Amino acid sequence: MNPTQELLSNPSHEVSDNLKTEEMVINMGPHHPATHGVLRLKLKLDGEYVREAVPVIGYLHRAIEKQGEQRNYFNYQVDIDRVDYLAGMHNNEAFSIAIEKLAGIEIPERAKYIRVICSELNRISSHLLWIGTCLIDMGAMMGFPFYPFRERDRILNFLEEISGQRMMFNFIRIGGVQRDPSAEWLKNVREFAANEFPSRAREYEAIATENPIFIGRMKGIGFLPPSVALDHNITGPSLRASGVNLDLRKTADYSVYSKFDFEVPTATDSDCYARYLCRVREMYQSAKIIVQAIDALPEGPISGKKILPGFKPPKGESYGAVESARGNLGVYVVSDGTSSPYRVRWHSPSFNAVSALPYMLTKGGPGETNLRISDVMACIASIDFIMPDVDR
Amino acid sequence: MSQNPIEEKNASKNTFKKIAEGFSHIAIGMGTVAMQSTRDPVSTTYPDEMPTLYPTSRHRLALNVNPLTGEHLCIACKQCEKVCPDQCITVIPDPTAKGKVQEFYIDQGLCMFCGLCTEVCPTDCIINTVDFEMSDYSREALVYDIKKLTLKRDESEFYFQFKGLDLPKVKVSPVAKAEAKVEV
Ligand code: SF4
Ligand code: SF4
Repeated sequence: MNPTQELLSNPSHEVSDNLKTEEMVINMGPHHPATHGVLRLKLKLDGEYVREAVPVIGYLHRAIEKQGEQRNYFNYQVDIDRVDYLAGMHNNEAFSIAIEKLAGIEIPERAKYIRVICSELNRISSHLLWIGTCLIDMGAMMGFPFYPFRERDRILNFLEEISGQRMMFNFIRIGGVQRDPSAEWLKNVREFAANEFPSRAREYEAIATENPIFIGRMKGIGFLPPSVALDHNITGPSLRASGVNLDLRKTADYSVYSKFDFEVPTATDSDCYARYLCRVREMYQSAKIIVQAIDALPEGPISGKKILPGFKPPKGESYGAVESARGNLGVYVVSDGTSSPYRVRWHSPSFNAVSALPYMLTKGGPGETNLRISDVMACIASIDFIMPDVDR
Repeated sequence: MSQNPIEEKNASKNTFKKIAEGFSHIAIGMGTVAMQSTRDPVSTTYPDEMPTLYPTSRHRLALNVNPLTGEHLCIACKQCEKVCPDQCITVIPDPTAKGKVQEFYIDQGLCMFCGLCTEVCPTDCIINTVDFEMSDYSREALVYDIKKLTLKRDESEFYFQFKGLDLPKVKVSPVAKAEAKVEV
């Protein structure tokens, strides 16, 4: 008797114990709309429940580190926006800081302020894209996910106006920044950051933050206790949502951030919803920083030393790190005194985020239960990684 | 069956109150979404309407002529060829005349529009235009030669003005210079 016949012959519709069940391995991705790029997740499922998860990476490998060895310092600058293309300013800034340390270049105050303005604009645009895609993953397809893209488009227009392109900015250069913003640009950005953006962000909050469906999807899943987050070297908003207040803008003070009054939002729930809250609140703080930076923008030159293709830093090694939209982004450069680096190494926050996925998907459920496959989307969305940053 | 610790924690809250709160938050969200219909659309309907482009925008590469005299501005110094990270520029100097260019190739299909070549050019000859519609049927067609790259005089005039570049000095030949001296 096969199981179906058995079921039919059983008038009480009780499932007998010898019904054959088995764990099934399915591949989520590499072409899956919710994995935000080409991540492949091998999931071992027991019915709806996730028993095992193995991320498979490497589909977007472009040898960014190796390219660094073959190009000179000047040419390599145009490549590094592509490490994390949603927050290119941070990549540029990290690399510039590393080389400036190596060559002992002092950068002028005005350049530091312009760097802060552009980085924070980029942080907001990256978080806005995250909110939109996160809500799409949660099933909110009613047009709302595209509202954040409207503000993001405004920011990208600002960044295009100053740098020349919408994503591959190549604006923060070794020794300073590429060009001086016009007074008109500064006025528009200030107006946007002071009034328009906070009011629009409050609209997203009105739609999503208290929405019971959204809370039901996000709250109480994907736990990442502080000890585990630290073990996996998670940084950025994902770590701060676990209650660890670590922000390089406050602790490392790599730029002029100590002059601004801003808070680092943290949460203690360490679940997907806490990560959402941290990111949303961080955007308001970034807008606050932009307004303060524009108000206090000093006059002066924008570049300490003009870097030309033949630029040769002295022998040595150095590490530059910034707080990017996704966490602690670092670059380690070894120079042998020639015009191209001997070795470039990128430490990207997304790689660590993906490394924590197996824990999150198998042990991150509430209590003793496993997560369901629908929760996988929420977990992937909430930790905010981006595949080019993982594979480099 | 409530397995969710947070749900359990909230279970003590009055259920009716919770339901009412939930509905009110959904209503607020819906209202916010409905509000959007009173706003003007922000999308650019692209082929009908061109997006805003800025003087700094980096798109198709082109070579300038002197807007005053119509002379080609390239002096065949090969700076752009050396700096290009993708090695997509080939400059062939004129063997007969020094400081003149005979042929100039740019593989626009290989170019990543980084703009480094325009930064190093000493005469503002190579520039990024605001034209981004350059799709073609074959890869070979994307290798532009000097004829296809060189702008017309009025186009050059437009870009010099649009980008706020300094107008090139009109070259004075040594003979004319000497004559001018004699007159003084
Ligand atoms: S824009 Fe960049 S890639 Fe393109 S030709 Fe110029 S230097 Fe080369
Ligand atoms: S850098 Fe300018 S002048 Fe020199 S070869 Fe290139 S286009 Fe011509």
